[in-house]
Amino acid sequence: MSQPILQLKNLIKTYPNGTQALKGVSFDVKKGEFLVIIGLSGSGKSTLLRCINRLHDPTSGQILFNGEDIAQAHGKEVLSIRTRIAMIFQHFNLIPRHTVISNVLMGRLGNMGTLGSIFGFFSKTDKDNALKYLNLVGIGEKAKMRADNLSGGQQQRVAIARALTQNPEILLADEPVASLDPATCHTVMDYLQKVNRELGITIIANLHFLSLVRQYATRVIALKGGEIVYEGDPKNIDDAWFEKIYGAGAKEVHIN
Amino acid sequence: MNLYAFKRNIFDSIMFAFLASVAAVVIFQPDEYAMLELGRNFQFFVAALIIGVILTTLLNRAGFKTLGEQIFEPPYKKAQAKDESWWRTLHGWQLVIFLVVTLIVGFNVTGFSIYKLVDKDSFGPAMKLFAGIFDPNWDLLPRAVLKMIETIFLAFLATFLAIPIAFVLCFFAAKNIMRHPLAFIVYLCLRTVLNLARSIEAFVWAIIFSVWVGIGPFAGMLALFIHSIVSLAKQYSEIVETVNDGPIEGIESTGAGKVQTIWFAIVPQVLLPFISFTVYRWDINIRMATIVGFVGGGGIGSLLQTYQGQAMWPEVGTIIFVIAFVVWFMDTTSAYLREALK
Repeated sequence: MSQPILQLKNLIKTYPNGTQALKGVSFDVKKGEFLVIIGLSGSGKSTLLRCINRLHDPTSGQILFNGEDIAQAHGKEVLSIRTRIAMIFQHFNLIPRHTVISNVLMGRLGNMGTLGSIFGFFSKTDKDNALKYLNLVGIGEKAKMRADNLSGGQQQRVAIARALTQNPEILLADEPVASLDPATCHTVMDYLQKVNRELGITIIANLHFLSLVRQYATRVIALKGGEIVYEGDPKNIDDAWFEKIYGAGAKEVHIN
Repeated sequence: MNLYAFKRNIFDSIMFAFLASVAAVVIFQPDEYAMLELGRNFQFFVAALIIGVILTTLLNRAGFKTLGEQIFEPPYKKAQAKDESWWRTLHGWQLVIFLVVTLIVGFNVTGFSIYKLVDKDSFGPAMKLFAGIFDPNWDLLPRAVLKMIETIFLAFLATFLAIPIAFVLCFFAAKNIMRHPLAFIVYLCLRTVLNLARSIEAFVWAIIFSVWVGIGPFAGMLALFIHSIVSLAKQYSEIVETVNDGPIEGIESTGAGKVQTIWFAIVPQVLLPFISFTVYRWDINIRMATIVGFVGGGGIGSLLQTYQGQAMWPEVGTIIFVIAFVVWFMDTTSAYLREALK
C-alpha cells in the first residue's frame, strides 16, 4: 500500500471574526482518487479546499502533501505548493479581457520569473502544452477568442486547461458546476473524469448534487458544521444518511 | 458607549454649538476686536459642545429623536421607528431651524444685496467691463494663442509625468492589496500622505514652485504634476479597490507571485478606467493651468493676470475667448474619448 498523496490531520480553521469553519478535520487521499466533498453551504467545504492549496492559512493541524507538512509553509514555499495543487472555481475566475490561450498560459506563472512573465516570454513548450490541453478539453479552436465571449461551460473548460498547464499532482475543484446548466454540468464533469483517468491527476471536488456524486466520485466525504459526518462509498449514501448530512426534511434533487 | 452614539453626539453637539454661537453673536453684538479673540471664543464653542453632548444624550434618553440619531442610528433601531410626520418630530424641526439659521448667517456674512447688483454706481463700471470683453482686441490673438499652446503642453507634461508614479503608488494605496498587517501600515501612511497632499490646492503648489524655480511655465507644470500624482493615485487606487476578486484568486491559485497577480489579474480589469480618468485629468489640468498661471505658473493665466491687473478689458476679452474655446473643445473631445474607451 503506497503512501497517501495527501493526509489531513486534525485541521482547524478559525476566521478572524471567530467563526470556526473547520473543527478538526482528518482524512487521507490516495493517488488517483476522485474524492468528492459534500455538505450544506457554510459547512466548510470551500474553506477546506482553500486550506489545502494554502489560499487560506489553516489555524492548526497538519496537511501532509507527499509526506511533507505544508500547513504552516510560508513565502515562496506556498507559491511552489500552489503550482503542484491546481484549482478551479465555481465562477471560473478567468481574466475576461484576455484570450483563451493567454488565460491557459497563466497556469505557467508560478514557474516563471516575474519580469519574463510580465513581458509575455512564454516558452515554445509552454505554448504547445497550452494548446494541447485546450484540445484535451475540446476547445482548441477557441484559443484566439476572448475568454468573456465563451459560455459558462466553455470557460470552466478553459479553467481546467489552465490548471493542467501547471502539471499539478492534485486538482481541487470548488463547486465546478454550480453555476452551469444541467446539460453543461455533465460535459464539465466528464472532462474532469477524463483528467482523472487519463492523466492520473488526483481530484478533490466540492459538489452539491448527489446524483453527480454517485456517478463520478470514487469516494465521498460529507462535512457538517466543519466536521466530517460521513466517509465512504458514494453508493452507500441512503435516505437516512442524506437526512443526517442535509438535515431533516431535506429532499434529494435529481439532475439528468 | 457604542460608536454610533458617539457619532450622533458629535454631530448634534456641533449643530448645537453652532446655534449657540450664532445666538451669542445676536445677543451680545460683539465688535470686531471681540470677534478676533480666538482663544476665548474657542472656549465658548467647546463649552457649548460639551453642553450639546449632554443635551443630546438626555433628549434621546427621554425618547426625543435628534437629527444625529436619525442619521446614524443602526438599521435594527430604524426598523423599530414609528412612522410620524416630520413636523411632529424633533429632528424635523432641528433640520429646519439649522437650515434657516445657516441661510441667514450666509446672507449676512457675504453681504448679499440685490440692491448692489442693480445700483447705477456699481452697474456703470461693470458695463464698461462688459463692453470691453465683448469687443475683444484681436491684435492680442497671436500672443494669446501662443500662451494657450504653452498651457496645453504644460498640462500635458504634468499629466504624462504623473501617470507612472501614480500607477505604482495606487497599488500601495489600495486596501484590497495591502491586507498583510505590515502592508496595511504602509497603506495607512501612504493614504494619510496622499490625503494631506491633496488638501493642498494646485495654486498653492504653484506659489511654492514659483519661488523655488522662478515664475514661469516650469513652476506651473511642477504644481500640476504634484497635484496630478496625488489625485490620480487616489482615483486609481479607488478603481483597484473595486476589482473583482475572482480573477485574483484564479491567478493566485496558479502559484503566481504578488507582482504577477497584480499584473495579470488586476491590471486588465483597471486599465480602461485608468485611461479614462487620465484623459479627464488632462482636461482638468488645462482648466487648472489658467488658475495656476495667475499665481506665477506661466501660460495663458499669467497673460490674463497682466491685463486684468491693468483693467484692459478688450485684451482680457480676447484671452477669455481663447480659454473658453480650448476648454470647450477639450471638454467635448475628452468626453467622446472617454465614452469610446468604456
